[in-house]
Amino acid sequence: MNGRGRALLRLLSVQGSWNYERMQGIGMGYAAEPLLDDLRTIDPVRHAEAVVRSAEFFNANPYLAGLALGAAARAEHDAVPGEQVARLRTALAGPLGALGDGLFWAGVLPATAGLALAAVALGGGWWAVLAFLVVFNAVRLFTTWWGLRTGLEAGMRVGSAISASVVPKAATRSGAAAALAVGLATPIVSAWMLHPFGFRGVASAMLLAAAGMVLARWSGARFTAPRFGLLALGATLLLRLVMA
Amino acid sequence: MLAGMDLVSVPQAMISRPLVAATVAGALLGDVNAGLRVGAVLELFALDVLPVGAVRYPDYGPASVGAAAIAAGAPWELSLGVAVGVGLLLAMAGGWSLRVLRRINARSVQRHGAALRSGEPRVIRRLHYAGLARDAGRSLLLAALAVGVAGLTIRWARFDRETAVALTIAAVGAGAASALGGALRGAGAGSRQRWLAVGGAAGTAIGVLVWGFR
Repeated sequence: MNGRGRALLRLLSVQGSWNYERMQGIGMGYAAEPLLDDLRTIDPVRHAEAVVRSAEFFNANPYLAGLALGAAARAEHDAVPGEQVARLRTALAGPLGALGDGLFWAGVLPATAGLALAAVALGGGWWAVLAFLVVFNAVRLFTTWWGLRTGLEAGMRVGSAISASVVPKAATRSGAAAALAVGLATPIVSAWMLHPFGFRGVASAMLLAAAGMVLARWSGARFTAPRFGLLALGATLLLRLVMA
Repeated sequence: MLAGMDLVSVPQAMISRPLVAATVAGALLGDVNAGLRVGAVLELFALDVLPVGAVRYPDYGPASVGAAAIAAGAPWELSLGVAVGVGLLLAMAGGWSLRVLRRINARSVQRHGAALRSGEPRVIRRLHYAGLARDAGRSLLLAALAVGVAGLTIRWARFDRETAVALTIAAVGAGAASALGGALRGAGAGSRQRWLAVGGAAGTAIGVLVWGFR
């Protein structure tokens, strides 16, 4: 396998050593190794410097990290001054984080998961789960491959390549698809689960859901979903004990 | 173990999503429907916080396996609430373990600061493999904890029929609130709110059409 293929495989574990010191830095250094191997024979000093730079602090969306990885590797091969390569990585981290999080975590993931949930509730069974995995991973792997290739081709001009690509538009549109899919799935899954319990069951759950949404709006991000779920279950249990 | 490592380390292929992890666990335990139902409710909770960057998020992978183990083989109407409750507790424990792991990884990087400045790829490789090995250990421990807690729950947690049903209804209601709350936060004030409303209206209509007249 060539260096590009090995780097692509290593990108799948780019967060394997995630830490509060360099965040994805070590993972990026690990993924960069096959791309920088050539430099070792051409210019060993430059190679050592490039390896040090490749593992510096970095944090972006893992699926778009290949853009920064490829661009930095190409810049090292083009003998761009080291400070400029370091600045390129720093400049790319924020935008690639925002763009990738918007595209995947707020777009493709809730959109595909929402559709899978609705399909499961409507009788799709485990086929719907399999379809979710296949679709999500097809998008994700293609994006990772595209990112690495684009980064390696564009080098220092990677910013223009990203702007000219479909990614910024896709991030916006996938967010709307996610809102639609989650909006669609939630009542379908609830109806699937609650219909055996009759009107009282549905009304109780809807009341609880409304209370939860008011609580979430009032408390912001502090009151997480697991905490709310446990509070709701605890209160229900307490109520049952009091009533018994 | 794979369900735990998938969340952050490798391969981030969404195997750790509750819908996937619980369904697979249910299938392995001979009750795929229990896995699907538990996975669907926990997935509603998981849609609230998505694994963005350095955000603190629960680890639903091993938790979903434990929850599916509780529900497998039992009538879902009576076991779902308890299974989801235990799943949520395990998910929070998993999130905490992830933060501990990240601190340990940071200390390891600090200790090897001088070696990292040498420009030797071997040092980076070793640090990365050590991080992966630690996450494998964390995931294995979490999976063992999930299976252990599931076993204890099946043995000791016994409720009368009404209480068990009430817990199931509460779990579904809280899951729906979590998914919609997260979607509302993510939608902001723009056109996404309209899409959310359109989806909600369509979903409600489908729900009424499919189950409302039964």
